[in-house]
Amino acid sequence: MAVIQYIVDLGASVMLPIIIFIIGLLLKQGVGKSLRSGLTIGIGFVGIGLVVDLLNKNLGPAAQAMADNFNLGLSVVDLGWPGTSPMAWASAMGLIAIPIAIAVNIVMLLLRMTKVVNVDIWNIWHMAFTGAIVYVATDNFTFGIIGIIVHAIIAYKLGDMFGQVTDNYFGLEGIAIPHGTSAYMGVIASPIDDLIEKIPGINKIKIDGEKIEQKLGVFGEPTIIGAILGFVIGLLAKYPVGQALQLAVQMASVMVLMPMVVKLIMQGLLPISDAAKQMLDKKFSGGNYKIGLDPALLLGDSQVISASLLFVPLTVLIAAIVPGNQVLPFGDLATIGFFVAMAVAIHKGNLFRTLISGSIIMFITIWIANQMISLQTALGQSVNLVDVGERVSSLDQSGSPITYLLAKGFSLEMGIGFFIIFLIYAFCFGYTFMKYKKKTIYSDENNN
Amino acid sequence: MKKKIIVACGGAVATSTVAAEKIRELLKKENIDAEIIQCRMNELESKKDGADLIVTTARVTKDFGVPVVHGVAFISGVNVQKTEQQILDILK
Repeated sequence: MAVIQYIVDLGASVMLPIIIFIIGLLLKQGVGKSLRSGLTIGIGFVGIGLVVDLLNKNLGPAAQAMADNFNLGLSVVDLGWPGTSPMAWASAMGLIAIPIAIAVNIVMLLLRMTKVVNVDIWNIWHMAFTGAIVYVATDNFTFGIIGIIVHAIIAYKLGDMFGQVTDNYFGLEGIAIPHGTSAYMGVIASPIDDLIEKIPGINKIKIDGEKIEQKLGVFGEPTIIGAILGFVIGLLAKYPVGQALQLAVQMASVMVLMPMVVKLIMQGLLPISDAAKQMLDKKFSGGNYKIGLDPALLLGDSQVISASLLFVPLTVLIAAIVPGNQVLPFGDLATIGFFVAMAVAIHKGNLFRTLISGSIIMFITIWIANQMISLQTALGQSVNLVDVGERVSSLDQSGSPITYLLAKGFSLEMGIGFFIIFLIYAFCFGYTFMKYKKKTIYSDENNN
Repeated sequence: MKKKIIVACGGAVATSTVAAEKIRELLKKENIDAEIIQCRMNELESKKDGADLIVTTARVTKDFGVPVVHGVAFISGVNVQKTEQQILDILK
């Protein structure tokens, strides 16, 4: 036990390579390949540490100064999913989440509770994050594991529920998208779509986003988003222009460097991912099943791209009006489309409706992320990604109703906000579930 | 001549890494010299110059003036050979 504790104390950048190396050997990958995979994941972890530091050390104080100058609360930087997923992988729930999520999947498949065969190992980080946050909140390992299991069950069910949408709108037949913000926030769009349908006049409004992408596409590029945001926040922090320009280039760098280092973590996970895929393929293949894949597959649709463009400024604006909010959206802005991709499809590409449901989705997400700052900061510090005295948050996955309800529910920290979110989310989920059962989630009859 | 291939997905982290790795193996097997660049979907427009091929894991409708192959097979494991052939046809 002393040896294990010693390795754990060395931090994720040493612990993860050792574990991945051992798993690689067990999967008969050979010494060289296993060693390389292990080191790659360690390098990714060191890399994300550097980038998170670059972000926190520079944008953090600027955001604080801006908040002080204008009485705005936005002083806690959103690390986004690229900064948050490494925390999940490095946590006590990280790698054990993989066999747990696969086991939950297999049990559900055998009991015919789902048709989704999830081969997407990367996105298990969402479930691991929920488990890790629950563990931080309750200090109870078992509750953390239950958190992973509950999140996994919900995720696979979401894959089933949105099957009609991914088949028909995105043309992804045989594929399910159970993961991430797209799926779990998609349930909110469904009742909103039906509500808009009932309002005379409003139900006729239709906006096609194709032109927006042609005209404004350049502003959707992560480097440009980073630079503009850095520069504007620098000015609002009352920095001299030169310093604001430095911040602009630093934030553009963060946007470019983040995926470069996080992808190394994915590369290190590839042997596990391949082995899991092979095992599941052997047991569950054929027309009765849907292959569960990453929501990245949804981001090519031109209406999703247009919505992503509009939601970059909109999300910052919403963050400014959410009561008491301290979270400054940043890391997730480059891929804000993840939040609204399923909504776009539920609204059949009508951008007007996506703007409405998406605004509500972002409002809820930011409100929750704000409640989760101390928990995510504690998690970040426990894996040495966040320094003492710094505070962090993320829209994805800290802003998730599932993670929030489980963490606060298990730690019995239930205020009015908890029950409001619970009621809204349970209603939307139930509503969408009923539509899925009646096969009307994506029907052509009430088509505009 | 060295070919330039861009592999894109939503966040340039997960699915494009898997696809890029499979393409790297394919090219090694076929002895094709190529540089593989990974990026996000919303960076394609600015990175496409000089590329011989774009592989995206998401389905795209936009015309980039560069051949585009839908690389979902590398992620799902279904119809991989067909996609590999498409890629080889463009590069050879």
